Amino acid sequence: MVRRSQHGPLVTVLMNTYNRPGYLAEALESVFAQTWPHFQIVLVRDGGCPVDEVVRRFSDRRLTFINRSENRGPGYSFNEALGYARGEYLCHLDDDDKYYPHHLETLVRAVESQDRCGAVYSDLYKVYCRVRPDGRRIVLGKHVEVSRDFDRMMMLQFNHVLHVSILHRKELLERAGGYNENLNVLIDWDLHRKLCFYTDFLHVPTITGEYYTPVGDSDRISVRRRKNVSDYLRNVLTIRTTRPPKPWPCVEDLSVLILTARADESLDRTLRDLWSHTFYPQRIYAALAPEEAAGWHTLVPNVTIVPAEAGSSLEARLDRMLSVCEGTYAAVVPAGLSAEMDETAWLERSLCPLLNSRQPREAFELVEATEGGWGAVFRTAELRQARRQYGRLPLRASLEAAGFSIRRPKTEDYPFQFDRMLAAAEQLQREGGWESAASLYAYLAEHFGNELWMRTQQAYALYKAGRFRQALEVLEPVQTVRPTVFTLQLAARIFQEQKDCRRAIDCYQRACRILDGTEARKTQTSAIRRRAAKPAADEPVLSSQESRPWI
Amino acid sequence: MDLAGALQNPDQGWMQRYEIVKELGDCYASVGEYENARRCYEQASWLEPDEAGPYVGTGVIELQQGRLEDAELAFRVALRLDACNSRAWAGLAMIAQQCGRLQEAFDYYLKSLELDNNHLTALLGLFQVSCQMGTFRQVIHYLQVYLQMHPGDTSVMFCLAALYAREGQTRQAQELLKDILALEPEHADARQLLEELEHKAQQKGGNER
Repeated sequence: MVRRSQHGPLVTVLMNTYNRPGYLAEALESVFAQTWPHFQIVLVRDGGCPVDEVVRRFSDRRLTFINRSENRGPGYSFNEALGYARGEYLCHLDDDDKYYPHHLETLVRAVESQDRCGAVYSDLYKVYCRVRPDGRRIVLGKHVEVSRDFDRMMMLQFNHVLHVSILHRKELLERAGGYNENLNVLIDWDLHRKLCFYTDFLHVPTITGEYYTPVGDSDRISVRRRKNVSDYLRNVLTIRTTRPPKPWPCVEDLSVLILTARADESLDRTLRDLWSHTFYPQRIYAALAPEEAAGWHTLVPNVTIVPAEAGSSLEARLDRMLSVCEGTYAAVVPAGLSAEMDETAWLERSLCPLLNSRQPREAFELVEATEGGWGAVFRTAELRQARRQYGRLPLRASLEAAGFSIRRPKTEDYPFQFDRMLAAAEQLQREGGWESAASLYAYLAEHFGNELWMRTQQAYALYKAGRFRQALEVLEPVQTVRPTVFTLQLAARIFQEQKDCRRAIDCYQRACRILDGTEARKTQTSAIRRRAAKPAADEPVLSSQESRPWI
Repeated sequence: MDLAGALQNPDQGWMQRYEIVKELGDCYASVGEYENARRCYEQASWLEPDEAGPYVGTGVIELQQGRLEDAELAFRVALRLDACNSRAWAGLAMIAQQCGRLQEAFDYYLKSLELDNNHLTALLGLFQVSCQMGTFRQVIHYLQVYLQMHPGDTSVMFCLAALYAREGQTRQAQELLKDILALEPEHADARQLLEELEHKAQQKGGNER
């Protein structure tokens, strides 16, 4: 039952704790210090040392405590907590992290200000710290390591949203089937990936909390588990092949139709490559006669065997698969076709331009396709119609007869253009080409969003190039909207170069206050008062890149 | 928390607070707020006990306040932590120079420039000591190297021109002085030295005739 009081919606904060009672108190304090008072905390003790004493300190009816002595893992714990959640919205907080007091208010106001996005997220400081013998943490650095506008294609491939920074409608997680209890790492990515099938995300580039990274051997459980490479890869492949319950309002399904007349090694190889070199949600079809598939088995998930007549042509098998497949898009892939070793977007390189195309009867060849092993990505309805009309013809002749325009994608059609250009800018930096890198960052800021991130990088590159005045010009609006420890240090260094030590001292002092946690409190309260008059970093950012075709 | 699109990927993110506190100390030192600077350097050395920077900073403020013994101690601690710290060697050289130990100062300045031939304070210090000692060969080399990296630095150009003139390399001195005047037509010292050299050259020509 969803609660909405006259003061606004209720937010449930899901917390899971395991063996960190010292930090848990600080984490809970940070929730009780919220300027948004309509919250409920559901805290699950996932085994480990008792935390009763810590919990007793917070005698507040908004706290629900599930005291379980058995360790069942975070997925199980969050699902258990979900059973007690009464809020319209859900948030998450790890037991060693902290919200700033404006965290919930910032996110609730952002999500309530529009209808399109059921999930919003902010930015967080990654806090490098040294842990003293008494357990107290000495802050050594605070960095905004991730501040990326929502990008659905990227989310399908890998995470770019911090678990602690997200607030989403509870109903979305219920539709997605809750947390996957079989995962032991990347549980946050699994959640975000599933949510993006149902909603767009809104990025609010305000810093609303902190997560801690001890210097040296991290005590984070997820970091330790990640060191087991095969287990980590198992988790990655599990997440990438997860197909949450339909309907998917925000993602269009892909059907991969394998052209093969045998269940043999070449089919296995192509299936394995699809598993490990693609990320877009897909179901794979192969049309085989029962005797052709007899004794054959694959571990690759999401494979459907469509019954075919023994000895039938590849076209007849394709038509059988087309008659049952559900995807809006269809990739025709000949068995035996392989992906390059380091390719991570095998089919997506041909799918992405089609997602961005408005032209009817357009298709894109697979980059590895040859005359003898030809394949391409189509809109399923158009391919189906072409085969219905010209089914007597061989595949490519039928496509020609139906008036298809088919071309091989160019590099600039591939997904992740932003990331490719970003990598180029970083390479320029490594080679000392600071001016060129600055120009590239400026271009990225203008064309790909991620404004604060790219402008910060541009200012840094200009500083390194010795262009101090221009660096300050670029940095000034960033500082106005969202000064960070890094941007303040950068500004201070520029002022030092300009022999303006007084202004440098001001910037350094402000950076120190953020590191001490005293500036944050000041900014938060004044920012909340100011919000109505002058939106700044609180302004949500709608995705401006890869997700566009789905909007 | 593996994430795509890291904003900054600081290889040494934990050094941030140390850097800020140390750089703040440098700024305080620059504006003469020595107590604030000292506090910053103390905090910085507490954060990163193996870094030489805060000790160099402390040495500089002691030197600026005329406390040579304390300054020397700080520079020596810095060198124990980092024997290749060019600023610490330059600091020791300045102390030696102030104490009149010119040969020692000369050697320390040279050491500092070997480690960082872009170190202007060491370069100018070496120039001064060379003038006091009357030995110029090595300083000419370092001034030339520095000017290759900073071709428009007229203060260093003038030092080099003066040394050329003193060493009897009149033509090189004149060319360099003309370059200075092209960059800074109001450079009075350069104009005066050029006039002197031209006058001497005329006199010499007259005598030879």
